[in-house]
Amino acid sequence: MSSGDRPDGAPSPPDGSGADRARAAGPGPAWERPLGTAPDVWAVFVQGRHRDMHVYAGDVHAPDAEMALVLAKESYTRRDPCVNLWVVRADHIHATTQSASEMFAPATDKSYRFGGSYRQQRRILQSSYKASYREEDQ
Amino acid sequence: MPGTLAAIADPAVREAFREWLLRMADDELVIGHRHSEWTGVGPDIESDVAMSSIAQEELGHARALYEQIAEDEGGDADRLAFGRAAGEYRHAALLEQENEGWEYSIVRLVLYETFEVARLRLVAASGQEPVAGLAQLLTREERYHALFGETWLRRLAGGAPDGPERIQAAVDKAWPDALGLFEATPADALLQHAGVLRTSPGAECDAWVEAVRPVLEGCGLRIPTVTAREGGRRGVHTPAFEELLAQMTEVWRSDPEARW
Repeated sequence: MSSGDRPDGAPSPPDGSGADRARAAGPGPAWERPLGTAPDVWAVFVQGRHRDMHVYAGDVHAPDAEMALVLAKESYTRRDPCVNLWVVRADHIHATTQSASEMFAPATDKSYRFGGSYRQQRRILQSSYKASYREEDQ
Repeated sequence: MPGTLAAIADPAVREAFREWLLRMADDELVIGHRHSEWTGVGPDIESDVAMSSIAQEELGHARALYEQIAEDEGGDADRLAFGRAAGEYRHAALLEQENEGWEYSIVRLVLYETFEVARLRLVAASGQEPVAGLAQLLTREERYHALFGETWLRRLAGGAPDGPERIQAAVDKAWPDALGLFEATPADALLQHAGVLRTSPGAECDAWVEAVRPVLEGCGLRIPTVTAREGGRRGVHTPAFEELLAQMTEVWRSDPEARW
């Protein structure tokens, strides 16, 4: 495999460690790690309605899961509806690193994958058409 | 539709039940004010927010109960809450004591909430509408208050090195005042006789001790053997309440006719 075949276009490692290693994790800086937060930080996930997904809302500081849930209730469910809470030690969450963010950016046009695109575009077109129509009326 | 009190035909029973509702409202108002004193100075930001939220809810319960009384008297809830002399308040001394440390506030919260949930059930079962329905509704919020209190209590009581002694000292201090929640007055006897309340303060107190016992003993704490400090239900209060009342009513007194 030549360096030109690499999906990210990066040159092969100079130490010649081979294609297998490059494919597994890629060369260069680490692309993932735990969040590295203090052990008393808990990430809170709120479910607004039954069958909604739990959505990350923020953190609380607590010595254990029970206290984290008790405190999360008042910190994150006072204003918006909630039917269920999750807490998880924030340091148990692994994240991609900032330097790996490039791998999320498409290199070629992928708009054919966006299922909602046609409806969305029609809505945008219609609303801007109506807005300009109203402006002309005035 | 008449309010709760107007629906009671017997004037003596009506007056006794008014006394009882006023007592409930005063308990909630005074504990709500004390809880609110933690706003901005709680042990951590999350518990500060939670305690402040509990304070708001207790004040909300107080307002709903004052409105029940005011509705039938053509008065307004604010005047009932803020416009009386100290001797006209009917809350128990437990609720007016100053917040001497987070551990005392947590112990008081646990002792009071256990009492409050049982009392709301009593009112819900009284058949006196619409306050019976209101009591049913308010019970929903008291569950979290108890959960917050007990979660904190277990951790404080297990905290090294001096957690157990400090929490036990708070229990010892709060206990005589907590027994004062059950001070019997002629209104209690009259309401029991009329069938409005299906219990007596003595029976309520026994049930309360059995309800808090597993919570306290589960944390390695002892139930004190002391007698009740009474007076609150008859309007006899400690100097701590004079101060609290002056501070709590300061804004309202500046213009009692103002619409907020």
